[in-house]
Amino acid sequence: MKIKILLPVFAAILTFAAALARAGDVKLIANSSVRADTVSPEEIRRIFLEQNSFLADGSHVEPVIEEDGPVHESFLQTYLDRTNSDLQTYYQALVFTGRGSMPKQLSSDSEVVAYVAKTRGAIGYVSSDALAPGVKTLFVARTEEKLQRRLITRVEPEYPEVLKRLSIGGSVRLQVTISAKGNVEGVHLLGGNPILGESAASAVKRWIYASGHSRTTVEVVIPFDPSL
Amino acid sequence: MHRRIVKLILICLFAGPIALQAQEFKLFDRTVQVHGFVSQGFVYTTNNNWLTMNTTQGSAAFTDFGLNASTALTDKLRIGAQVYDRNLGQLGQYHPSLDWAFADYRFKSWLGIRGGKVRTTLGLYTDTQDLDFLRVFALLPQCIYPTDLRDTTIAHLGADIYGNISLRRHLGDLSYTAFAGHRSDSLYSGYSYLLSQYGVYFSRLGGLQYGGDLRWNTPLKGLLIGASRMNEDLTAQATFISALDPAAGRMPLTEGFKAGWTNQFYGQYTVGKLHIDSEYRRQLHDQTNQALGVETIIDVRGWYVSGTYRLLKRLAVGSYYSRYSITTVSGGGQYLAFFPPNQTDISLPANHIYDKVIAARVDLNKFWNVQLEGHFMNGYGASLYPDGFYPQVNPQGFKPDTNALVVKTSLYF
Repeated sequence: MKIKILLPVFAAILTFAAALARAGDVKLIANSSVRADTVSPEEIRRIFLEQNSFLADGSHVEPVIEEDGPVHESFLQTYLDRTNSDLQTYYQALVFTGRGSMPKQLSSDSEVVAYVAKTRGAIGYVSSDALAPGVKTLFVARTEEKLQRRLITRVEPEYPEVLKRLSIGGSVRLQVTISAKGNVEGVHLLGGNPILGESAASAVKRWIYASGHSRTTVEVVIPFDPSL
Repeated sequence: MHRRIVKLILICLFAGPIALQAQEFKLFDRTVQVHGFVSQGFVYTTNNNWLTMNTTQGSAAFTDFGLNASTALTDKLRIGAQVYDRNLGQLGQYHPSLDWAFADYRFKSWLGIRGGKVRTTLGLYTDTQDLDFLRVFALLPQCIYPTDLRDTTIAHLGADIYGNISLRRHLGDLSYTAFAGHRSDSLYSGYSYLLSQYGVYFSRLGGLQYGGDLRWNTPLKGLLIGASRMNEDLTAQATFISALDPAAGRMPLTEGFKAGWTNQFYGQYTVGKLHIDSEYRRQLHDQTNQALGVETIIDVRGWYVSGTYRLLKRLAVGSYYSRYSITTVSGGGQYLAFFPPNQTDISLPANHIYDKVIAARVDLNKFWNVQLEGHFMNGYGASLYPDGFYPQVNPQGFKPDTNALVVKTSLYF
């Protein structure tokens, strides 16, 4: 009986905390034909500005964008550093000089997920807590060093059962310090649900990277998708 | 009349968005995108007629439209083409042209090649100079982007090599374009029209051109700087009636360049909703008129500073100051006496145009905007090379100052 009363309260608190932590966050999603699991912000910028249509691993991709709204604004601020009107003008200049095409523009997270799921090479973004069945979520490595420090051993984080049952998900951002030998020396939670962050941090501490010239700090984004 | 206008506005507001979204279809399992635009302007000026229109009475002879289709044949190969047409006073006269049509193969982000009829990359806006609906301004600074000479720089039949290179150590990225090809100027453009006052009628106008553009997205967020260079040749065939021997009837005339080049330097800074642009261009044409034996050096210089700011989601405002000067020096040949006298004093209104502009743009919906612009010009720059002011539409002579009101509306999808 007590559990029945406490569970909704607990869920409400967690949902509220998660919403605060994730306000403005987006996650990158891709069609299953895209081989890459990790992309850099620079790659995202080039792909969505149509300066490149291939990821570093050779996967061909086609950008999909959301129409004006909080998710779109957050994506623009995080990755493209331009306003929506500037982006639309940019695409129109490409279209009317023949140097590019107008990317698919969809009006909601669910439409983006559905389109990305069925379209070969499609890459898009949705709110970090959106359900994304049938697509893969891409990790965003926020520094160039990440690409140089190849991940050799990856341990998947455990999804806390209660949160999964309550469909509480989203992305957590971690700052990861890697030693020259490739061990993870430290993990610091930058954003996201604190409970999910704790789970992610304990997994990331067991990751092993290829050895490098010096200690490196990278930012890692780990999604928790309750629908998977 | 008013009913028709109201009806048109209602159609644009309600039916427009529905019709304009139909822009994609499948052909042989490939997605083909179709896009288009149509613009209609109105210009009213004080004192002088401008841009070959009868603007002192108010003129709406300012229409253009384009329609294009493009598709990706493979992951690396794109093809497309655009048809363009316009009427600007005495120019264009609704003679449609193939604006661009090319195949574009991108090997890597740092190396691509496009061949066919390609828009020329020169400075910030040469390749998009006629797409006024992209910007706040209904007319770009005419010191560098004269709308009456659009056809002389807009495109070339040839090839571009281009790419984008990320610099290490967070030094930004470089974009480059190298181009070469043949330029075909329209016979309905400003230069042909200007020389028609002397009884010269062109049958062919154009020439080879090659050059490049290099722009650097600097590590300072929002700051872009760049430089462009173009070398060009001219092959012009025309007929004229000799002033020395009018009885001989129309005689052939050919023009060519001893030297023709353009240098352009530019910077652009964007911070939030504020955009600041500045460009400088110098264009030198050392041209010979073989039948007349006269050589003329035309030296055109221009620069501007512009700023725009988006006040509201649907309202942006802007202003620019544009400065244009021209000198012409002619020499040699028995026909020299029939040429205008040399002009080297750029302080004279005949050799400069200084233009202060304020503008606003209202986005009525996603596909339709209205631009409103005021120009306050000193000088008319009327010479052997045009920039907006033509003697044919100003038979009473020029006055030093001209104010202009430009209203333009565009639909695009």
